[in-house]
Amino acid sequence: MNWTKSMRTTVTEKLTWDNLLPSEQPIYVSSLVYSFGVFTLSSLVFTIMSGVIMAAYGPTWYQYSAAGAFFRSVHFWSVQAFFFFMTMHLVGQFFMGSWREGRAMTWVLGALSFGVSVITAFTGYLSRGDFFAQWNQVQSKDAFNGAGLDGFLNILNNGQVYGLHIAVLPLILIVLVGWHMVAVRAKGVVPPYQAVHVQKKEGEKR
Amino acid sequence: MIRKARFERNTLRFPQKDFDMVKEGIVSLGIIGVAVVIVAAIFGAPYRPAITNQEIANQKPILVMQTAMGDLDGQGEMAAYGPPYNNGWHGVAQNIQSIGPFSPQTWWGTPYHLYTPNADVITPLTMLATASNDTPLQAAIQTYNAASYTQQQAWDNNFTNALNKATVQNGQVVVPSGQYGPVQLMMNDELALAKSGLLSGALDRETNNGVYRWNIQNDLLFLQGPALHQYAKTIDMRGGQWGINHDEQAYPGPWWLTPYTFLYQVPPGSTSPSGDEIVAYTIAILFGLLVLLPFIPGLNKLPRVLPVHRAIWRDWYKRLETTNACASCPLATSCNKEFHGPMTAAADHEIPACYDQTTSVG
Repeated sequence: MNWTKSMRTTVTEKLTWDNLLPSEQPIYVSSLVYSFGVFTLSSLVFTIMSGVIMAAYGPTWYQYSAAGAFFRSVHFWSVQAFFFFMTMHLVGQFFMGSWREGRAMTWVLGALSFGVSVITAFTGYLSRGDFFAQWNQVQSKDAFNGAGLDGFLNILNNGQVYGLHIAVLPLILIVLVGWHMVAVRAKGVVPPYQAVHVQKKEGEKR
Repeated sequence: MIRKARFERNTLRFPQKDFDMVKEGIVSLGIIGVAVVIVAAIFGAPYRPAITNQEIANQKPILVMQTAMGDLDGQGEMAAYGPPYNNGWHGVAQNIQSIGPFSPQTWWGTPYHLYTPNADVITPLTMLATASNDTPLQAAIQTYNAASYTQQQAWDNNFTNALNKATVQNGQVVVPSGQYGPVQLMMNDELALAKSGLLSGALDRETNNGVYRWNIQNDLLFLQGPALHQYAKTIDMRGGQWGINHDEQAYPGPWWLTPYTFLYQVPPGSTSPSGDEIVAYTIAILFGLLVLLPFIPGLNKLPRVLPVHRAIWRDWYKRLETTNACASCPLATSCNKEFHGPMTAAADHEIPACYDQTTSVG
């Protein structure tokens, strides 16, 4: 098997402009539920943008200056919006059974993104540098120890927690979300129930 | 050609309508951006200043001495904690969690090397003695280190008991006179170091091998125990108070941890000494179920029988109805059941082919 050829075929067939940026959608796309995904993504954009600015100036800046406090607030509310819309997106997609017709990987990637987001947000919570960060560090050390995660994550080491929060975890999240979006675009949005069964029946006829 | 078919968007089989994805994205960015900036400007973000050992030393000097004594004599929580910090006190660890023989806490050994007598008392006091050229303190540390273990324990016990009768006068901890050896002087200096604000630095310096200050492990571990717990209790932040799930009053906290926090409110999470391990692995299993939902028989069919998708796609189902798509369908009754009836789905063999709109464009 030629990996190069295989990769090229996959990319050129999956990642066409028609797939990535379609100018039309099936007519059944007519519900607020379809907007939750794009709202989630928009919130993530603001989370990352405000986070990059905060990381550039450093923890002391966002704890002790007015401008820093403002960006900390933008970051905080972007995260709240991100989790709100992501949860709505997840619940909506569940009720739509959106893993159907070859979309299982799309769901898996989305669910993994949710998990990584929770860990990312938690490391962010610990990077606030206030009482809540302190308290959650000492409280969650027992949880991390009990779960057996302590060997590679010392939750009391701010360097490690902050590094994970601003670099490692966002990178993983961006890859997962990007892959999730490519999967959505490559397959198209999930059709309504029943259409599946019609398709199955057609398949049987052939 | 077969491979091409694999990647074809199968939604193209349906009638299509114009859609501006770029516009949708930019409008969405605009809405979220404006909303977030306005809310941030009005409400700000929660912040409650961190607590320091200096504050505790000034407000509750006896508590600092009790913590330091627990670290010195091995009776304190962290002295006997166990992995990943140490092997407990004389090999007896107090905080190893396990479900039967399953104890992942022990897998990594003790990578963080917390020997509390040295980390929290002897080393900081030695640094203080060196920095201030404090001969009596140097002598006291030497006396303590040179004494037999039995002698050390006797001094420690005497002073720990004395702390129960201690009073605070002019910021100084006053204990009844007794056989404390060098321990009383050491504790007075430990408290002075904490009051000066330099104890945290000394503790962090120990954790960071004498260089940078990223790792605040020992500082936090010294603070934790009663000091932080007493404070956290006053603002409902303890585990049994849904602690981690909320934040500064009036602000939304990390509500996405609700399932996790919930498990701490009920047994065995709220009662077992291995509660953390049980909760963590319960959540891991639940998360695994969420991730693998598409492959779990029964669960992956659940949304089909729940009526919510009927609301989500109501326009589509309505359209099928108004275009009279089912007029010639011999299974029209089943169709009605499927889209309008109670939670009754048409049986699999009753598939109304007339619902297939893929051939007509409209």
